[in-house]
Amino acid sequence: MDEKKIFLCDNSIDGIFTAIYLAWSSGFGHANVKLEEKCEKGSFANLELFSEYIKVNTDLTLSVKVSRSIQSKISEEAFQMVCRVALSDYIGKADLIYRFLIKGFHIGGGILEHLSDEVVNKIFKINKNVGFEAHHLLGFVRFSEQENGLLFSSIEPKNNVLSLIAPHFADRLPKERFIIYDKKRNMAALHIPGKQWILAEVPDLKIGDFRAFTDQEDEYRDLWKIFFKHIVIKERINPKLQRNNLPLRFRGDMTEFEPDIEE
Amino acid sequence: MVIQEQMSIQRKLEILSDAAKYDVACTSSGVDRKGNGSSMGNSVGCGICHTFSADGRCISLLKILYTNECIFDCKYCANRSSNDVVRASFTPEEVSELTMEFYRRNYIEGLFLSSGILVSPNHTMELILQALRLLREVHHFNGYIHCKAIPGADPELIELLGWYADRMSVNLELPTSESLKELAPHKSRKNILKPIRQIQLRRESNREFLGLPDKSITPKKIITGHEDGDIKEIITTKTGLVPYQRNSMIKRNYVPAGQSTQMIIGATKESDYQIMSVSEALYDNFNLKRVFYSAFMNVNQDSRLPVTTDGPPLLREHRLYQADWLLRFYGFQTKELLDENHPNFNVFLDPKCDWALRHLELFPVEVNKADYFTLLRVPGIGTNSAQRIVAARKSAVLGFHDLKRLGIVLKRAVYFITCNGMTMYPIKIEENFITRQLLALKDQLPLGIDKDITYRQLSLFDDASFQPEQRITLKLANI
Ligand code: SF4
Repeated sequence: MDEKKIFLCDNSIDGIFTAIYLAWSSGFGHANVKLEEKCEKGSFANLELFSEYIKVNTDLTLSVKVSRSIQSKISEEAFQMVCRVALSDYIGKADLIYRFLIKGFHIGGGILEHLSDEVVNKIFKINKNVGFEAHHLLGFVRFSEQENGLLFSSIEPKNNVLSLIAPHFADRLPKERFIIYDKKRNMAALHIPGKQWILAEVPDLKIGDFRAFTDQEDEYRDLWKIFFKHIVIKERINPKLQRNNLPLRFRGDMTEFEPDIEE
Repeated sequence: MVIQEQMSIQRKLEILSDAAKYDVACTSSGVDRKGNGSSMGNSVGCGICHTFSADGRCISLLKILYTNECIFDCKYCANRSSNDVVRASFTPEEVSELTMEFYRRNYIEGLFLSSGILVSPNHTMELILQALRLLREVHHFNGYIHCKAIPGADPELIELLGWYADRMSVNLELPTSESLKELAPHKSRKNILKPIRQIQLRRESNREFLGLPDKSITPKKIITGHEDGDIKEIITTKTGLVPYQRNSMIKRNYVPAGQSTQMIIGATKESDYQIMSVSEALYDNFNLKRVFYSAFMNVNQDSRLPVTTDGPPLLREHRLYQADWLLRFYGFQTKELLDENHPNFNVFLDPKCDWALRHLELFPVEVNKADYFTLLRVPGIGTNSAQRIVAARKSAVLGFHDLKRLGIVLKRAVYFITCNGMTMYPIKIEENFITRQLLALKDQLPLGIDKDITYRQLSLFDDASFQPEQRITLKLANI
């Protein structure tokens, strides 16, 4: 029995793209290779017997090569989709993207019309999920103002959407310094007026450091809660609909769902 | 009238958000506006929901009244002059600061400012204008603003306001001028339609000047609504435009997100047919972006109005929204859905299913051949599904299995389509059979309304031509 060659890579767009480059050019043949990304906690999913593992070191030049090929040989849209899939929490996404690209490079831009193909379909679905979560967060992110004027926000998304939502906030709040902190991944998007926003790993960030609110911040939080309470039409109260529109998992970081301490 | 001086901003917000809660607005306006690097704000065409209140409705705007004082006495309104309620008014500064600080914290997408009428329509409009000017000129707010135009205010004020707002709305309130006379004696339908027309004309001239095509101005074969005397009079009067008054500091277009309006449903006796005909006429003649429907609630316990002790007619409101959708995106016309002999929507089935059941001769439709608009008329197939089918069948002949994989929900569609000439199961294309199957699907009733539905609530919408069979009613009542 032939041994499978498994390319183990970092759980990032660049990591996955590097592995794609290496697996493609390895000469083992598509059927004999498999790509596997590290899980979010840094370990690998489950080791397979009878397989040879090849550890991939992320290499930006190779990753850029893969990006360019997708953009030029398939399409910009396909590239965007693949990136969103690479940011998803789907286990096995590296291999899925690899299988998608095999077809994509063969067919070209038209691949996106092959919706009844299983791999293409899966890519579409995951892409949509990631897109939904990112879109939700454009609205659900809550900033609190710190004493020094910094706006701080924490989120806990299923998918790694920081890099998808940060551009929106940089565009919306060009004059503000802000941090959007992903609690689950210890990463943050940082923005300073006049500069490009950046994505950084922040293992030492302590969320408690951002919970001391100024009086003015407290006042606006209160006003927001007042508004949230009074805008409800009591005769139409409908928790099912509310939960459907705003899943519980988002509420932990939202000001209006914070329990009132005074009451 | 109780007027309290020195009211805290908290208290004002309580009163004036409470008073604004029945107004409907939405930010999915199709306006994409990038930030400009120096001021605060941008705008996203598909809209962003910032949170959902306990009634399940989306909150995307700071929705407040400027004041709940009012010199008018509309019978259905909690702010009417004859009511003894606590009154409050913001100042323009308070409105602009609340908006800015809420926006910075990403609580909201922008402002929705409505108002009762303080002193006079002009006086009120001037205050609203002042608040908007503060936001745009002093705070350089670049986010979304929807504001009300007060009927009866000078056209010059409406002209000015439109350069600061993204969307404006004048509420039609009630579908016919008779109802309006009865319930809102200080308002007249023509006074409401005039500013709508004025804003429409300025928008069109502004867009023409900019060379922007308005996608929504598509030549329609039949323009409806000419039998409506008020509408006919307003659109044939030539004096709609007032002198151009853009402030040179303001580099914005005129009401870029267009106009919307709102009607109260169930306070007066109009049928769904009458209501939808009015909506259609508004879309056709005034180029409105949205008509909102608001289920009536007798907040004043006014004995001259219908009782709503069983709650507002939410299901009827829901059906009207569904039908409105069919008009705007599916190429339906009101007269296909309803007519004099069948003037109200079937509460048990959505308007499209109801229509399809009365037109079984057009079905089944072959998924691999039917054009886009024919697919759109299949119950259960929406714009997304139809687009996906049209894209996917370019590269493969589709079977039911493929449809499932495309994420197309088949439970309703299955009675109306074939793949390669075959239905999914042996199906009798027969009205009673399909009706029974469709009624068994619980998704015919919207989330949260399904359980609490009572026969009495349903009977609110019944008319002589639609008497639900006892059997079906019972079945529905114990879902
Ligand atoms: S004019 Fe508006 S606020 Fe005043 S009573 Fe009528 S509906 Fe209410």
